[in-house]
Amino acid sequence: MEPPVSRYAINSLLYHLKKDPDLRARFIKDPRTAIADADLTDAERAAFVAGDMRKINELGGYLHLVMSIPKIGTHGGH
Amino acid sequence: MGKIVFAGAMSHVLDPEYYQAACGDVGRQKVVAAMDAIASMGDRFVETKAEGLIVVADDHMNAFSFNCVPAFCVRIGRTVQRMVQDSAEAFDKVLEHMPEEYPLHEALGNSILEQGLQNGFDLALSWEAPVDHAFLSPVNTMLGKRPIPPLVPIFVNAFIAPQPTARRCFQFGQHIARVVAKSPWKVGMLATGGLSHFPELLLGRVGETDTVFDRKLVRWMETGEHEPLLDLSADELHKTGSHEFLNWMVLLGAITPARADVRYFGELPRINLAAVEWSLR
Repeated sequence: MEPPVSRYAINSLLYHLKKDPDLRARFIKDPRTAIADADLTDAERAAFVAGDMRKINELGGYLHLVMSIPKIGTHGGH
Repeated sequence: MGKIVFAGAMSHVLDPEYYQAACGDVGRQKVVAAMDAIASMGDRFVETKAEGLIVVADDHMNAFSFNCVPAFCVRIGRTVQRMVQDSAEAFDKVLEHMPEEYPLHEALGNSILEQGLQNGFDLALSWEAPVDHAFLSPVNTMLGKRPIPPLVPIFVNAFIAPQPTARRCFQFGQHIARVVAKSPWKVGMLATGGLSHFPELLLGRVGETDTVFDRKLVRWMETGEHEPLLDLSADELHKTGSHEFLNWMVLLGAITPARADVRYFGELPRINLAAVEWSLR
């Protein structure tokens, strides 16, 4: 089975969290409010609010973004 | 008549601190060994007196956001800037000590682009895309303090599905070889990334590699058997964490049927580090 076509909304948000320091600061302070306008499913929104990068990745979040968003990303072990 | 006078491929996070943090002392030792091998490749590159250096690599969602992800993109213009990331972490931090601007080989980039469009390769172009560690870590490691020749950065979409096929990447490399052959320039060529790491792009599988698969790829490159590589599927590359081998496929198309000499291969839990050079006559 081929890899699925990439999921847009979740990755767009990850990209802007990486590249927009103001959004990132608002997200760190109050994640639910910061992403209120994002077009996310309930599961995606819950994962962002919980800061659960593994779940975000499993839901289609691009690995290199998940690993490299300053102060939010997780670098993975090994 | 122009010629590709140097061809090399290598992993593209070349930083002892990164691997110290990710893999401990063994990570540092192995990446330093890989970097030494790549610097030696730089000695041979300098001897060729190449007038330009094509670098085939992937973007990590630094140059292109999700507003557009080109299958292949030629970075044209006169200069290119390195990617800037505030509060950079992980592989982005690798860039911080590197020069901020690099010259481009404008005429060669334009030739690859224009002749591509004339010959069935619907290439994207960019005057503004910055380049990240995938381009600059190998270039700076290979050349160190020596002058960096004008670059032609070529982006391949290695990660964002659906990607170009391995066969199409190879064909694009053949196109590049034809363009260089018709040009007046001696040109070097690098492909970067890999080998196996981050299978399925899942955080839960960071720390796994597929060494059996990598050794199969290496054997085919050493013997110049490129035909089996053309049939590598997106599924194989995804499951084995070999997404970035698409960059290598472009280079292979450009220099086929040349045989590879492995300058370094080192297994780590996080990635198999590699540096390979081709004998070009």
